[in-house]
Amino acid sequence: MMMMMMNGGEATEAELFLNCDDMSVLERQRVQLNYHQYHHPGFEPTLPCFFPNSSKMNVGEVDSFLPSAGLDLPEIYGELHGDARISVSPGNITTESGNSKKRKFGCVDTETKVFNEKKKMMMMDREVVVEEEEEEEEEEKSKVTEQCTRSIMKMKNKAKKEQNSCSNDSSKVTKDSQRTDYIHVRARRGQATDSHSIAERARREKISERMKFLQDLVPGCEKITGKAGMLDEIINYVQSLQRQVEFLSMKLATVSPRLDFNVDEIFSKEVVSAPMMNLPNTVMPPHMMVNSGYPHDMVNSGYVHFNPMQQVVTSSDPLSCFNNGQSATMWDSDVQNLYKTPYPDDMEMVFIYSVFIKGHHTYFEIDESCGGVNGTELYPDVKYMTVSEFLDTLL
Amino acid sequence: MQPTSSMKEEFLQKWQMGLQIYRPLIDNTSVSERRKAIKLSADVAMASLRRGTTCWSRALIQKTATEDNFLVRQMLSGIKAETLINKKLPKVMCHRKIVRRSKKILRRRKSRSAIEEVAAKARKLVKKKTQGLRNVVPGGEFMSNDVLLIQETLDYIVSLQTQVNVMRSIVDAAEAGSERTAYYLGKPKFAIEDG
Repeated sequence: MMMMMMNGGEATEAELFLNCDDMSVLERQRVQLNYHQYHHPGFEPTLPCFFPNSSKMNVGEVDSFLPSAGLDLPEIYGELHGDARISVSPGNITTESGNSKKRKFGCVDTETKVFNEKKKMMMMDREVVVEEEEEEEEEEKSKVTEQCTRSIMKMKNKAKKEQNSCSNDSSKVTKDSQRTDYIHVRARRGQATDSHSIAERARREKISERMKFLQDLVPGCEKITGKAGMLDEIINYVQSLQRQVEFLSMKLATVSPRLDFNVDEIFSKEVVSAPMMNLPNTVMPPHMMVNSGYPHDMVNSGYVHFNPMQQVVTSSDPLSCFNNGQSATMWDSDVQNLYKTPYPDDMEMVFIYSVFIKGHHTYFEIDESCGGVNGTELYPDVKYMTVSEFLDTLL
Repeated sequence: MQPTSSMKEEFLQKWQMGLQIYRPLIDNTSVSERRKAIKLSADVAMASLRRGTTCWSRALIQKTATEDNFLVRQMLSGIKAETLINKKLPKVMCHRKIVRRSKKILRRRKSRSAIEEVAAKARKLVKKKTQGLRNVVPGGEFMSNDVLLIQETLDYIVSLQTQVNVMRSIVDAAEAGSERTAYYLGKPKFAIEDG
């Protein structure tokens, strides 16, 4: 019948709003129906239960209107009490067999009067505004309506279409009632609007919001949807992190017997853009590398860099400057591998680079302090010739 | 939120400070002693990053205070240390047991139906998991509501990640250092001879 109303072509805002509201009432009816089904399996719901007056929903005073629906309406809605502002088209709800035909949609002449009253109610209503939110409603309903009949689903689909057109209008009306001092909580369509369930719903939303953060934090749980699964993953992850801490502290205890990780921390935050820029900062002066081997203290006093990419690169000798370059070029590829192989894989390349490109083995000053000795002094008997002299002989 | 480098810096500094306290005592001690020292100072450093704002950090500090009171006092300077250590742990645990028992009794009277049973089982499972999470997160038993628990877990995970990252880098640096010593001492210096 209500469908007929829509098709009638009366597209005033009032009409749409009215019908839209009836939609929500229909939804509520359906929930109620299911509720009754679950709680009283054999119970044949009679239509008085199906009249949760929409304005009654709005006020939200009644704790659970479901059991007492239609029966304890407060005085203020006296006018609306008997109004069948809801259409229960006979074909749709199969559970009620004979009663439906009696309850036709409210007559047209009462329509406008009813709507005026209703609008007054909306204005007066301060506490709870019933809003239609489709997506979350879908989720909730899908759980609740597992056992609902096909016809009810049909009704729901029809309701959806109407709702889309109505949502804009309803929001306009509800905006007026929003400008008050009270805290406005949006209850979802078709759900109980008492304060307890609203608070509980808010709490649940908070929990699910934080679970989403956790999903981003814990690696590898993008696909897990349920709370229990997510909690499982979180527990496993926290336990693994704690175990890692234990393991690393044990490793550190074995590696450094004196607990002195000689860390000269240089948090080079500027060195992100140009990978090669790492090199000038980290190259030790070449004269350290000469003849007598590598001084031991150089190894221990490494420069430990914490760059923003969470890499540690130790550069205690010029060789490792290539390590830096290598690591910088490996930026996009697996950074973690670098942790596990702090030592360059390609030693040949390291030496080639060091010798031919950086010239570490030739471009240094040889003087007495390096520990080297001039060969001419060691063997004075041998006749030495400089390279240029030798080349002159060839001319 | 990922661990930032400033967080890591701060953690490293605090951790080093803690290790400094141990250093004079540490010579000729066993590996397990050293490991304990490292871990405790790392834990206190991690917890002190939060400066007493989160529940887990307070609980962690109290836990380490039971093992090594001296360290905690030294590491946390000022009034904060005293208040944190002496604070009595809330006795929420007892209440929860009573509540749980009374809920069980109430539950027996409720009527069952198929859907409700499934929902109830799901809820029970979730409750079990949250209890497991409470056991893992320090101070979890004293967090009364789930929202707080999950918030604390978030913060705890980020701090743990910081701790693990810093420790791992230190270990790698230390290992690389010792490896390099071995390498250069063992192999011939062919590069120099060629030049």
